[in-house]
Amino acid sequence: MAGVLVFGDVIGGALAPASLEVATAGAALAAALGEPLLGALVGDNLKSAAEQFRGGFSSLYLVEGKHYRPYTAQASLAAAQAVIAACAPSVVLFCHTPETREWVPRLAARLDTGLVTDCTVLSVEGKDLVVNKPVYGGGVMGEFVVRGTPRLATVRAAIFEACAASAAAQTIAVDVPVPAPGKVTLIDQVEAAATAGPKLKDAKIIVSGGRGLGGKDNWHFIEETATALGAAVGCSRPVADSGWVPSSHQVGLSGTCVTPDLYVAVGISGAVQHLAGISAAKTVVAINNDAEADIFTRANYGVVGDCREVLPAFAARVKQLRSS
Amino acid sequence: MNIVVTIKQVADPNIPPSHIQLDPSGKRIVSPFGIPPVMNGYDANALEEALRLKEKHGGKVTALGLGDDSSRESLKRAIAMGADTAMLINDPDLLNADSAGVGRALAAAIRKIGSFDLILCGRQASDTDGGQVLHWLAEALDVAAVTPVAKIESDDGKQLTVHRLVEEGYQRLRVELPALLGVSSEINEPRFPPMRGTMAAGRAMIPGWKASDLGLQPSAAKVELRNLQIQLRTSKAELIAGSSPAEQGTALADKLHELGFI
Ligand SMILES: Cc1cc2nc3c(=O)[nH]c(=O)nc-3n(C[C@H](O)[C@H](O)[C@H](O)COP(=O)(O)OP(=O)(O)OC[C@H]3O[C@@H](n4cnc5c(N)ncnc54)[C@H](O)[C@@H]3O)c2cc1C
Ligand SMILES: Nc1ncnc2c1ncn2[C@@H]1O[C@H](COP(=O)(O)O)[C@@H](O)[C@H]1O
Repeated sequence: MAGVLVFGDVIGGALAPASLEVATAGAALAAALGEPLLGALVGDNLKSAAEQFRGGFSSLYLVEGKHYRPYTAQASLAAAQAVIAACAPSVVLFCHTPETREWVPRLAARLDTGLVTDCTVLSVEGKDLVVNKPVYGGGVMGEFVVRGTPRLATVRAAIFEACAASAAAQTIAVDVPVPAPGKVTLIDQVEAAATAGPKLKDAKIIVSGGRGLGGKDNWHFIEETATALGAAVGCSRPVADSGWVPSSHQVGLSGTCVTPDLYVAVGISGAVQHLAGISAAKTVVAINNDAEADIFTRANYGVVGDCREVLPAFAARVKQLRSS
Repeated sequence: MNIVVTIKQVADPNIPPSHIQLDPSGKRIVSPFGIPPVMNGYDANALEEALRLKEKHGGKVTALGLGDDSSRESLKRAIAMGADTAMLINDPDLLNADSAGVGRALAAAIRKIGSFDLILCGRQASDTDGGQVLHWLAEALDVAAVTPVAKIESDDGKQLTVHRLVEEGYQRLRVELPALLGVSSEINEPRFPPMRGTMAAGRAMIPGWKASDLGLQPSAAKVELRNLQIQLRTSKAELIAGSSPAEQGTALADKLHELGFI
């Protein structure tokens, strides 16, 4: 058997949009290899996710069970191994998510096969999978050849277009026993305190603050600006590490990759690891008191000035414009 | 509690792309003159957490690295911070190993070191951004692995309760030892080496091990690096002028209005 197998990402019962992007990447590889495109979903109740995962798969494998929500590595591993055993694919693709960052490398080790994480370009040469992946925080692009059976890759979000919707030829339920309790047990899942405004990941506008704010006491400048714009709040890593805001707000390589129309970076220097998270932002505005800051090489518009003085006037004018 | 911390030495992640240099093979970043390589940031967090556990429970902290001879510097820093011993796997044949090769070499070294209760790794190395080696290591030693860990909430020497970051918060997990954790930067602020530590590091002997010392068989790479390409950005933002910061703020809002964002 052969095929390119694409695992969709299910969040709270719905299909994560990035799943359809990975299907696009998978379809190109399947065409180049002359092999079928296969899909797979693992989750609690897959009814709506399976309807949304319309990647034109020749088969869509479904692994359902209560124990897949919340996520645990053991359960995801067992499910993926069962699907892979059922269809023996030559390439398997996954969304690059906080969960796949944990369990897919373990899957690679268990299957003793090649994996590259967080890929942005994928192609085939003969039977080899050839991928590009940003390294050194994004300052350098690496090209890698991936070998083994199957060859594995996780794919960065917001790089590929979502695939055109077309239904799967057939769905196949795969029965996977609940894994025996292991050495790791989930006690509970603690959601970050709900913040007002839109969620970072889906936000059209994001106001993001960095160390340049100078302290937690000044964080209200960011919140007020975000409220004025109806924007989500983001932050750089030092801000999350210092506990000014929960790390669920962190944008970047080790935080969330965001896809807004407008990203306002305030007091953020523009380190490559931060920029890695905003590569898909359409328009970037930077407010920074250092005209030489790297963020100005990514930003489309910039203000050189002290954010504590720029932001109040900016927010006031935004409110005015939005109410008129 | 006996803890092994894996320490990778990397080119300083703060070097901007415009200053990064590649060696003649085009496959390796070399630190530009005057900017010494550093201990991988998350590995420093892992070491700090190990030292805190040792201060609470006693036991031993061992730092383990794989790299060229210059990587001894980071292992010395580990000793200066408070690690009891350090070893380096410095076989030239392993320097270009993929994640599988590095993970297995680290596993073989840990078997040689002896028993352990906990292995702490960084969640990822800042040069590879791979986040893989810890899992190959865990699989080779057949222990559970949890990553990225932002907090060890409680520990009693037999099991830990840890916080694993998820997108919208964290999971609380009970982990039976022995186990491996991938440590994230939220967990702590690594200490600066105290004076007596620096002196201990000066005296420390760091043994170097070869693949043959570890009984490692050569294995074909599953992932092969073809080349690296530095990503330069040269564009420049259009700056919004104004006679005062407040005026600039107002002008920026007007600009965004004009562009249709407001
Ligand atoms: C493996 C790895 C992963 C990482 N992942 C991430 C990640 O996911 N996200 C992330 O953000 N970082 C990440 N980092 C950290 C990254 O390298 C930078 O250290 C970080 O992004 C810097 O944050 P900053 O811009 O807020 O702070 P700084 O670099 O300190 O910049 C502060 C900026 O504020 C400006 N400023 C100061 N005062 C003012 C003022 N009054 N008004 C306006 N501007 C002012 C300064 O000119 C400066 O440009 C990672 C690093 C590593 C090694
Ligand atoms: N050469 C190495 N020496 C010691 N530890 C390593 C090495 N490579 C990777 N590691 C450990 O594995 C983690 C993940 O590395 P990586 O898979 O390269 O992102 C790092 O944070 C280190 O703790």
